[in-house]
Amino acid sequence: MFHNGIKYGRSVMLVLLTHLIMLSAVVLRGNYDNIQQVYPLAIAVLGLDLVYIITLRFFYNQMTYTMDFLLLLILNISVIFQSCFGGIGFSSKHYITCILALICCQISFLLTRNHIRLMTIKKYLYIALGAIIGIMLITSVIFGRYNLWIDLGFFQFQPSEFMKPIFVLLCATSIMEQHEKKKILFFYISKEALMLTGAFLTIFLIQWFKHDLGSLPTFAAAYACAVVCRICYPKAKFSKKMLIIICAIGAVVVVAALKFAPGYVQDRLSVDIWSDMHGHGYQQCQALMAIAEGGLFGKGPGYGSLIEIAAADTDIVFSTICEEWGFLVALLIIFFIVSLLILPMINKPRSYYHTTMILGVAAVLIVQMGLNIFGSCNLIPFTGFKIPFISQGGSSMITCGLLAGMLKAGQSPVFRKPEIPSLQKKRQIQSGKTRRDNI
Amino acid sequence: MKSIKRGERLTIIIIAAFLIGMIILVVKIIMESSFYMSHSTHVKLGNVYDCNGEILFDSEASLEKYKDDANYFIDIGNVIGDDSGQMTNTLVSENINKLQNYNLLFGATKTGKSSIHATLNHAANRKVYEAFGNKDGTAIAYNYKTGEILICVSKPSVNILNYENVSELPSGSLMCKAFYGTVPGSTQKVSTLAAAIESIGYSAVSEKVYNCPGTYYNNYGTGIDCHDLSGHGVQNISQALQNSCNPFFAQLVEELPLDGIINTFRDMGYSVNKSKNKELEINGISIFRASTELTDVNDSITQWGCIGQGKTEISPCQLMMWQSAIANGTDKVTMPYLIDYSTNIIGITTHHSSTKYESAGFSSETSKHIREIMLENGRNNKYSSIGRSVGVKTGTAQVENGKHENSLLVGFCDEDSLPIAFCIVIEKNESQEMSTNQIAAQILNSLSES
Repeated sequence: MFHNGIKYGRSVMLVLLTHLIMLSAVVLRGNYDNIQQVYPLAIAVLGLDLVYIITLRFFYNQMTYTMDFLLLLILNISVIFQSCFGGIGFSSKHYITCILALICCQISFLLTRNHIRLMTIKKYLYIALGAIIGIMLITSVIFGRYNLWIDLGFFQFQPSEFMKPIFVLLCATSIMEQHEKKKILFFYISKEALMLTGAFLTIFLIQWFKHDLGSLPTFAAAYACAVVCRICYPKAKFSKKMLIIICAIGAVVVVAALKFAPGYVQDRLSVDIWSDMHGHGYQQCQALMAIAEGGLFGKGPGYGSLIEIAAADTDIVFSTICEEWGFLVALLIIFFIVSLLILPMINKPRSYYHTTMILGVAAVLIVQMGLNIFGSCNLIPFTGFKIPFISQGGSSMITCGLLAGMLKAGQSPVFRKPEIPSLQKKRQIQSGKTRRDNI
Repeated sequence: MKSIKRGERLTIIIIAAFLIGMIILVVKIIMESSFYMSHSTHVKLGNVYDCNGEILFDSEASLEKYKDDANYFIDIGNVIGDDSGQMTNTLVSENINKLQNYNLLFGATKTGKSSIHATLNHAANRKVYEAFGNKDGTAIAYNYKTGEILICVSKPSVNILNYENVSELPSGSLMCKAFYGTVPGSTQKVSTLAAAIESIGYSAVSEKVYNCPGTYYNNYGTGIDCHDLSGHGVQNISQALQNSCNPFFAQLVEELPLDGIINTFRDMGYSVNKSKNKELEINGISIFRASTELTDVNDSITQWGCIGQGKTEISPCQLMMWQSAIANGTDKVTMPYLIDYSTNIIGITTHHSSTKYESAGFSSETSKHIREIMLENGRNNKYSSIGRSVGVKTGTAQVENGKHENSLLVGFCDEDSLPIAFCIVIEKNESQEMSTNQIAAQILNSLSES
C-alpha cells in the first residue's frame, strides 16, 4: 500500500496557502514602489501551482503525490525568494529552471523506478559519465584548466553537476550484482565494486585537475554510502574487523587529504574569518552579519543588502534569505527540504536497489546543503555550494530535479520486466500461433 | 528486508547528523549574533552618558551637530573612544555589543534604547583636563568605597569629532595612559613599605633607622643616589617616606628576605621576574599589570626596582587601586568600574554594577600603618595647596633613559564626604613648572562641587 501522509485536497491547500501567505508578506513588507511590481511574481507562482495541480489531478494521476506537492511548494518558495532579493521583481530565469526541475523530476522518476530496465542500460551510464568527463577535459583545453562552465551564449551550464545523478545511479546499480565476487588473494573482489571505485577515482582526479575539490564531498558521500550498503548486505563476506579497518583507512585518508590539500584549500581550512574579514573571510563575515541583521523575522522582502555581495543568491543564499525573511523562515524552508528526504521513510523502498538509490540521493543533497549552510556560517570551511532547489543555477536545479525524481521512484517502484519491442512482437506472434493451433 | 532496513537507518543517520549540525548552527547564531553585529555598519549604536546624564558618546556626532562646542568630547576622547575602529581598549570599543540597537528577535532597529550609563563625571573631567594646561599626562580618580571611576583623563587626547589621519596625531593620543604601564618612581615605595611590613612586621620596620649620605653604596659597591645629594641624614621609615629617600629604601631592602618581598608583590598583583598573573580589566578594558624584577636584595637592579626605577612598571590605575585598601584600612582593594548600568534595545536595564573587592595582597594592619604614614606625609606643608586632608606619596620617574622626568602623585582624600583615591602623572615635568598638587586639588574640588 502507498501512503501519502496528507490527503490530496489538503496537500493542494497547503501549497496554495503557503504561497499566498508568502506573497502577502511580499505585498505587506516588501520593498517596491508600485504594487504592480508584485503582479508578475504572483501570477507566475500561483499559475504554476494551478497548472501543476490540474496536471497531477487530471492528466498524470499517480498513487504518490506528496513528493510532487512538496517539490512544488519548495520550488515556488524559491522563486519568491529569488525574485525578492534586493528589491521586488520577477526572476524569470530562476522560474524557468524551476519548471525544468519539475519536468526533470518526472523524467527521472519514470526512468529509474524500474531497476530491471535500468540494469539493461547500465553501460550507458558509464558512457555518460565518461562523456561528461571528456567534455570537462575539452573545456579545460578550450576555456582554460580551471574553467567549470560551458557558455553557449544564451545558456551557461556546469557539466560536473550532471555527474551527481549518474554516479548515484551507478552506486545503486552496482549493489545489485555485488554478490558476484571472486576471491583474489585475501579479498573478495566484485567487478561492479571495482568499476564503481574506478569511476569515483576518475571523478576525484578530474576534480583535482580542475581545482574543484569543494564538490568532491558529495561524490565521496554517495560512494561511502554505496560501500556501507555493500558491507551491510547480509551475504557480504565482510567481518566487523574488516569494517573497522575500512573506517580506519577512511579516517587516515581524510586526515592525509586535509594535511596535503593544495594551498588554496589549506587557505580556506585555516582562515580566521574575523581577522581576515576583508580578505578570505569576507563572504562568510558578511553572511553572518546578514543573518544577525535579519533577526528572527527579517528586514522584509527586498530590503536586504547582502545581494551586493558575490554569490548572494547561490553560495550564501541561506544568509540572504535570513536577512530578508528572517531566521525562522530560513529554517522552515530547510525543514521542507529535509521533509523531502524523509518522505521515503513513509513509503518504504522495497528493494536494495531503491534503498541504495534513496540513500545516495539523501547523501548528495544533505552533504550539498550542509556544505552550503555550515560553510557560509563558518561552522566548517567554506566551499561554495548551492542549496538544492533554492540557490540559483540551471545545472544545479536540473540535477536536483533528477535526484528528486529518484527519491520519488524509490517510493513507487516497478518490479515487472521491461517490455522490449522485439520481444513483444515475438510473444505476440507466438501467442497468435498457439491460438490458431488451438482452433 | 534486513538489508533494506539497514539502508533506511543509514539515511536516517545522515539526516540526523545534518539536523544536529542545524541545532549547533541555531545555538551559535543565538549566542554570537551580537558579536556579528559589532562588525556591521547597518546597526545604530546607542549613546554613552555620564553620571549626570551628559552625553559621552554619540554615534551621530559630527562637527555640525556639536558646532557650539567643538571640543566637547576632547577630555574623554581616548577613554570612551568611538566606533570607527581606530581605537581599541576604550569603553565603546570593548562594550560595543551593549550599545547595539539590536537583538535577534527584532534584528537591527533604528529606534532602540540601548545605552551605557558611565560613572564618569564629565564636568569634573573637563576641568581636570584643562588643569593640565600645555602638559601631557594622565589623572584617574575613583570612589574608594564604591569603585566608581569618576575622573579619567589622558593627554594628549583625540577629538573624536575631527580626526581622520591618525598618523598626524601626537604620539599617545589614541590611548588612555591611566590603563598602561609607566615607571612609578617613588610611588613604588608604598608597595615596598607594604612588602617590608608584611615580611618582618611593622615594629621591626619602624625601629629601622638608616643614614642617607646622599649616595649609598650597596653591598656590591654600586651607588644608589638620592634626589637630595647632600643627604637626609639619619631617618626612620616615616621620615624616609616623607623625604622619598632612595638610600634608606636601598638599605631597608638589603635587610628584607627576598622571598618575603617577592611573595607580597605577587600577592599585590605584580608580575615578578616575568611570572604570569591573572588579567586585570575594567568593563572589558585591559589594564596593564604591574611588573618588576627582583633577583638579589643586594643587587642594584632589585633595589632600584623597589625604589621605583629600573624595570618596574605599573599603570596609574593599579597604583590608585592599592590606595583604596590603604584609605579604607582593609586588606581588600575596591575594584573600579566605568559602567554604572546599561539598557537594552527596549530600555530595560540589563547590567547594573555593584561594588566588588579583591585581595590587596597585604593585611588590614599593614594598610592602617601605611595609611597613617601617608596621612602624616599629607599633613606636610608642601601639600597644603591641595587644601584637604589627604594621604599622599609623590614620585619622580626618570624615563627615556633619564632624558625626561615624570612627576607622580598617588593618594586618597581622608574625608567621609569625599572618599576619593587618585593617581596623577605629569609627563616631562623635570623643570617642575606644574605641580601634581594642582591637579589633585582640581580633582577633589571639582568632585566636591558636583
